[in-house]
Amino acid sequence: MKKITILISMILSCGLLFSQNLPNINLKNLNGKSVNVQKLTKSKNVKVLAFWATWCVPCINELDAISEVYEDWQDETNVELIAISTDDSRTKKRIRPLVNGKDWTYEILLDDNQDLKRALNITVLPHLLIVKNGEIIYRKTSYTPGSEDEIYEIIQKYTN
Amino acid sequence: MNKILLFLTCIPLGLSLSAQVLDNITIGLESNTVWYNDDSETGDFFDNANNDGDKHIRSNNYLKIDYNFLESFTASVQIESYEPFALLNYSKSYEGTNLGTYSLNYRDSKLNITAGHFYSQFGSGLILRNWEDRQLGINNSLQGGKVVYEPADFVSLTALYGKQRVGFKISDGEVFGFNSELDAGALLDFRETSLGIGLSYVGRKEDTPFVDPTFDELTNLFSGRVDFYQNKFYSNIEYVLKSEDAIKQGGQLSNRFVTGGSAILFNTGYSKSGFGIDATFRRLENMNFFSERNAAGNVFNESSINYIPGLTKQHDYLLTNIFVYQAQSTVNLDTSQSGEIGGQLDLFYKIKKETLLGGKYGTKIALNASYWAGLSGDYIQDNPDAGTLPSYEVELFGFGGKYFSDFSLEIRKKWSPKWRSILYFVNQSYNKKIVEGSGAMITSNIGVIESTHKLGNGKSIRFEAQKLNSDSAKHDWTGGTIEYNLNSKFSVYVNDIYNNGSDSDTEKTHFFNVGGSYTKGATRLGLNYGRQRAGLLCVGGVCRFVAEATGLTANITMSL
Repeated sequence: MKKITILISMILSCGLLFSQNLPNINLKNLNGKSVNVQKLTKSKNVKVLAFWATWCVPCINELDAISEVYEDWQDETNVELIAISTDDSRTKKRIRPLVNGKDWTYEILLDDNQDLKRALNITVLPHLLIVKNGEIIYRKTSYTPGSEDEIYEIIQKYTN
Repeated sequence: MNKILLFLTCIPLGLSLSAQVLDNITIGLESNTVWYNDDSETGDFFDNANNDGDKHIRSNNYLKIDYNFLESFTASVQIESYEPFALLNYSKSYEGTNLGTYSLNYRDSKLNITAGHFYSQFGSGLILRNWEDRQLGINNSLQGGKVVYEPADFVSLTALYGKQRVGFKISDGEVFGFNSELDAGALLDFRETSLGIGLSYVGRKEDTPFVDPTFDELTNLFSGRVDFYQNKFYSNIEYVLKSEDAIKQGGQLSNRFVTGGSAILFNTGYSKSGFGIDATFRRLENMNFFSERNAAGNVFNESSINYIPGLTKQHDYLLTNIFVYQAQSTVNLDTSQSGEIGGQLDLFYKIKKETLLGGKYGTKIALNASYWAGLSGDYIQDNPDAGTLPSYEVELFGFGGKYFSDFSLEIRKKWSPKWRSILYFVNQSYNKKIVEGSGAMITSNIGVIESTHKLGNGKSIRFEAQKLNSDSAKHDWTGGTIEYNLNSKFSVYVNDIYNNGSDSDTEKTHFFNVGGSYTKGATRLGLNYGRQRAGLLCVGGVCRFVAEATGLTANITMSL
């Protein structure tokens, strides 16, 4: 157990030293078009990649909460949120009606066999990445009401 | 074990010398440790799978490292440790510490080549899906090679070969696959319309145990798909054909019972801003498909090549997950089963702001209904004396006995900037005999009220009250949850469900959990003490049975 603790703390300390690049993976959008994740995020504007699923209640709560303030976020920082659904073929059908039914305006990408989720070593949902110039500058897991405000502070910090 | 830990510790240390290298590494760590306790109410700890009652502390650990180099290459390893044994209810094939998966991948704009373990999915997965679910103890990746070739942006071709991962070993059976996807909409330069066509093949080759087999070593599955999307309307259809193969009856592979299978999947929907509707129909006939024929019916879902999820809504609350449907695709003449037929309907609607029902913030409504039944037809038992072979004859669109139905309504309402609530109602009918092997049809009504109150400074509190009434004297449940978020990092919760009915497995027992979590960035630590109810644990429409257990659980997940 002691060794596991040492191992974890070492990995943690390494993690503080670097910012990662996104993997070169293509995902489909809701219109069936292929989108390259690297190209999409190579931008001076901050991009938020939010990993979610239709069956994940905290994910829906987070995206619902952000959707209420999203217009203000975009006006002030030009940030773009890309909601990456990890739904498999069981619940994938529910994505389109759910997104429209909730009136979300995010771009939706489909990671239906979890290729991107696996490549980024994401284990729990919701999981959120803040990306600028193709580099991951912040990662966060789980959602509590109000934590979207902390996300926005980071977005503001990296704008310009 | 110690050497591996030391080795793993050295990797990140050595790499920290070079930031260049670190920029291209991602690491995922997951650790789940349970200290199982003897429980005065539900009995002493005992692990039937390993016939062990002494090793109370168990730990499942996963470390995955991905390294991107020379722009186009990725090397990936996953090390897994189940010490001293895996957690309860995991397959015995996960034992000790070992290399779980490894792969080397090359990718450019046209080619994507993987050697080693890979995960692949053709279409909806009805004929092939490799995936990992650590909670369910599933990792059915293939070990071999895969090539994906995209000569133009409207066409994608995949060829693969491999043996399937089973615990830390690989299957005897071999899997061959070929997949083609054509974006006909892009090819024909449609502006507003998308039209996709997919054709796939999967073959499984395994030696037969019979001297004179009445079926081939190689079983073939074909899938054809059309995917259409225009403006607000979409529709897709898939047809699957499975060649003749031996059926397992009464736990034995039979040379006398050989038959094929098929699947039809149809989905259509319409959605616009504030409104969405989606309908699915599916018929399955003898669609079980494993890399080893004898794996059919295993409770751990090991060796499955295709993905057959239950198409019902995945509910979010404790009492809505007591009776969970599992897709039925197995042939069983004793219960006149050869598959299932049925469908599911989803409706989403947002009542606009500043209307009578919408109020200041609008109201969000989600409705789901599903119905599943057996295939109606004639089922003929094996009778060597009379010279009849086992067989069945089913109608294409005939609905047999009911297996499951579910109706649910969810209303989400924000009352003020600080208060929001969810009202949830479910009506379910569950054929316990079909899904679990014994019992009768149970019909239940479940109501849930959930409210979240923001207290400012990141503090918030959430309540859930749940009630389940059924037509059976055995099930009358009450449940509740309280969760308190101290800030965005610390969270504590307590929940409890209690059956006032006469069900001998669960009556008069509190299935409670108390726990807390700490989250910082992408690191989460969780600690939980509680009593787990025996029953089906389901993730993504795939279920396995878990035994009753009481204990202290610690989870660590980390992504770097």
